[in-house]
Amino acid sequence: MAELRLSHLSKVFAGGVVGVDDVSLAVGEGAFTALVGPSGCGKTTILRLVAGLEEPTDGSVHIGPRDVTWLPPRERDVAMVFQNYALYPHLTVRENIGFPLRVRKIAAPEVARRVRKAAELLEIDALLERKPAQLSGGQRQRAALARAIVREPALFLFDEPLSNLDAQVRAQTRAELVALHRRLGATMLYVTHDQVEAMTMAQSVAVMAKGRVLQEGAPMTLYREPASLAVARFIGSPSINTVTGRTTGTRFEGALSCDARVAAHAEAVLAVRPEHLVLGPAIDASPAIITLVEPLGPESLVRLRLRSGEDLVARVAGEAPWHVGDDVGVRVVPGEGLCFRASDGARLSARRDAP
Amino acid sequence: MTRAEIRAAVLAMLLWAVATVGVGWRTLHSIDHADRSREALFRAHASQGRVPSPAFPENLDAREHAALRQEERPLVVHDPHGVEIITAPVKDTEDWEIIGAVGLYSRWRERAAPVAAPAMVALLAALVLLLGARSVASAGPRAAGVGALALFGAAAAVTALQLRFAAVSLAPREAAPASLERLALPPPSLAFAALVLALLAVAGALAVAAVHWHARQAGRRARVRETIGAWLFIAPSLGHLLLFTIAPVAFLFWISVHNWDLLASDHPFVGLAHFREIAADPLFWRALRNGLVYALYVPVTMVAALAAALVLDQPLRGIKVLRVVVFLPYVASTVAIALVWQWLLHRDFGLLNAALTALHLPRVDWLGNPATALPALMLVSAWGQLGYMMVVYLAGLQAIPAALLEAARLDGADAWQRFRLVVWPMLRPVSTYLLLTGIIWSFHGFTLVYVMTEGGPSHATDVLVYRIYQTAWEFRRFDVAAAMSVVLCLLLLVLTALQWRTVKGEPADA
Ligand SMILES: Nc1ncnc2c1ncn2[C@@H]1O[C@H](COP(=O)(O)OP(=O)(O)OP(=O)(O)O)[C@@H](O)[C@H]1O
Ligand SMILES: [Mg+2]
Repeated sequence: MAELRLSHLSKVFAGGVVGVDDVSLAVGEGAFTALVGPSGCGKTTILRLVAGLEEPTDGSVHIGPRDVTWLPPRERDVAMVFQNYALYPHLTVRENIGFPLRVRKIAAPEVARRVRKAAELLEIDALLERKPAQLSGGQRQRAALARAIVREPALFLFDEPLSNLDAQVRAQTRAELVALHRRLGATMLYVTHDQVEAMTMAQSVAVMAKGRVLQEGAPMTLYREPASLAVARFIGSPSINTVTGRTTGTRFEGALSCDARVAAHAEAVLAVRPEHLVLGPAIDASPAIITLVEPLGPESLVRLRLRSGEDLVARVAGEAPWHVGDDVGVRVVPGEGLCFRASDGARLSARRDAP
Repeated sequence: MTRAEIRAAVLAMLLWAVATVGVGWRTLHSIDHADRSREALFRAHASQGRVPSPAFPENLDAREHAALRQEERPLVVHDPHGVEIITAPVKDTEDWEIIGAVGLYSRWRERAAPVAAPAMVALLAALVLLLGARSVASAGPRAAGVGALALFGAAAAVTALQLRFAAVSLAPREAAPASLERLALPPPSLAFAALVLALLAVAGALAVAAVHWHARQAGRRARVRETIGAWLFIAPSLGHLLLFTIAPVAFLFWISVHNWDLLASDHPFVGLAHFREIAADPLFWRALRNGLVYALYVPVTMVAALAAALVLDQPLRGIKVLRVVVFLPYVASTVAIALVWQWLLHRDFGLLNAALTALHLPRVDWLGNPATALPALMLVSAWGQLGYMMVVYLAGLQAIPAALLEAARLDGADAWQRFRLVVWPMLRPVSTYLLLTGIIWSFHGFTLVYVMTEGGPSHATDVLVYRIYQTAWEFRRFDVAAAMSVVLCLLLLVLTALQWRTVKGEPADA
């Protein structure tokens, strides 16, 4: 186990494509950090830089006390689980798992013992004699995991390991990975573009865009206190509602209005989570029309359109008492509106700036 | 009876009828042949001076008489009852003038004979076929095919036997003078009849299987149409294959067990005599051994090609040009390569010997020395094949997912371990393919030998194909050459079977 520290890491590919742009990030010893962001934002590139499959243009990578920036992959003591698992097709599962030990010239009985242990941990001991082609997606994923843990590396890297699995297996594996993390107490850096995955698994989440880390923090911090509009939009499902308007010093005025103690009189964007919209009579509220009601069981999503044209989504408990075409009034729960500067998306207000 | 059964039965009857007509026609044809033999025999006697007294058929009129004199060949005349009588001319001792004619036999009785008696047997066979078709139509497609094959085979054999019996039992009604010996009938040739029957038996089996399949597909018209369409699509190439590949090979096998003298009109069956001959021929064994040694250039070239591919797989500047350069010899004409290398290896003017001289080493007569001629040819072959093998290896290398090699790097494998444990095993199908096809091709190798050494010196580069060529076209022993070709064919068949096994044995990639 070791801590991972990236400082001012940059990667510019041949041809001038910026893959990673001045990223500094720390993953504490035994921590589970997720990197999320839209496709092409540089998540895989960061993993490859950490693994040593790519050389940085600038910055450094430290694993524990060691500066590994210029070390070859096999001297870094990291294990990586690839998106497509990268199992060796000509080897059996047993040989695949044993591969990292075999190339390190570890004695056969020891290899056998550790392979058995890893396989038992991941419950694939019955599949050891099969070739990867004879496994299901979920089983391959476990085999790849077993190959990663058999070495007991200082650091685990995961590149969207669940994206090839169907929804049910994915949910189950998610829980198992978390349990595995707790069991091994290992340092893990986990890449995904699925924010639900990141939020549910990681202790700390770093949101990326265009090669930069926008914000890093605990999942609920990111959810409640996004530092920028991009993070606010990326985290949460369904996405946060936004309307444009102006701040007056005490209020936000626009298609929706609410209290907001923001000093500047500026063009601003108000962002409100679906559960922070209150629907009711049109008195003293922004008028809207219901466009769709999606009952999900314990709650319902109500999609509506403001008079002024913006589309919003509200989350209400239980069954929604409205129908498509009904007129309703929309209000923001006091203190729950988030204001961002329209020009660059920077946060204007702290949340509970009220009393 | 279901419709499928009726269809199968009708088909069975039809095929049987074709078989009967075909074999019947052939049998009658062989009787005609017998007629001519009789005439020849008769003439031989006449020319030896044992001239029978002239015995013109009484009813030979002046016109027929004149025709007989003029044409000197058998003539068909009619007796008062309208029965055809075949006559043959009778000549004097010098075999100079036609002095008369004899009636040999009438056609009527004999032609009628094979049709009358077997009619009953035919009916019986038809009945068997009909019942057989029923059971065939209700079996599985494979069983239907096998059953039909047995059935048609049996029916065809019955028909053949019965016709043969009819033909042999024909008693020639001789009107020849008593002084002539009784003429022996040569047995009618049954080879053709057997061929017709065998083909029909196979056709019948296929047809019944098809009918059966069609019945099984009832209601699935799209499937039927698709299958028929598929067969129509492959029909041209199938036909081409049958006509220009399968048929010549079959002919080759046939020649290899017959005496095949270009000048002789008949080709008697000799069994395995030619094979015994080549087995006793030291030159054949020499050629076979040379071929095996020559084939060694394949694995050697493969190693070089793999090394080249590993180098050329690197993303370096100008690497594409280098790839093309290495590949070029493969697209050059073999004859051109042979001629160029002949010069390079020339004893007096060759580049190689010039280099040796410059290094103060003795020159070598590369192609003239029995010890170096075959290795020299192997070198040229390797040079010509290197580019091709390199390109195939390059394709194989590029088909290995980059992620696998990266995973190996992370797993701690160094460059040699990555090659030995990942790259090489994953290239195994490519290697097997190159090895087997390479060896197969090396056994076909002919051009280089033909142009550069003509098998010499003293048979040092005599390989099998060159031996076959020489036996056929220089010694005019086509039958022996055919036997050698059969041996080569079987050898390559074994290799091809091996290749297929390995291709099939490969597990699909994950
Ligand atoms: N070898 C390369 N050469 C040039 N550009 C590259 C290379 N690899 C990645 N890039 C670029 O770097 C950027 C980041 O790529 P990266 O693979 O890290 O994205 P990602 O966040 O993993 O995306 P995804 O979620 O789709 O996997 C992209 O714009 C990509 O086009
Ligand atoms: Mg990626």
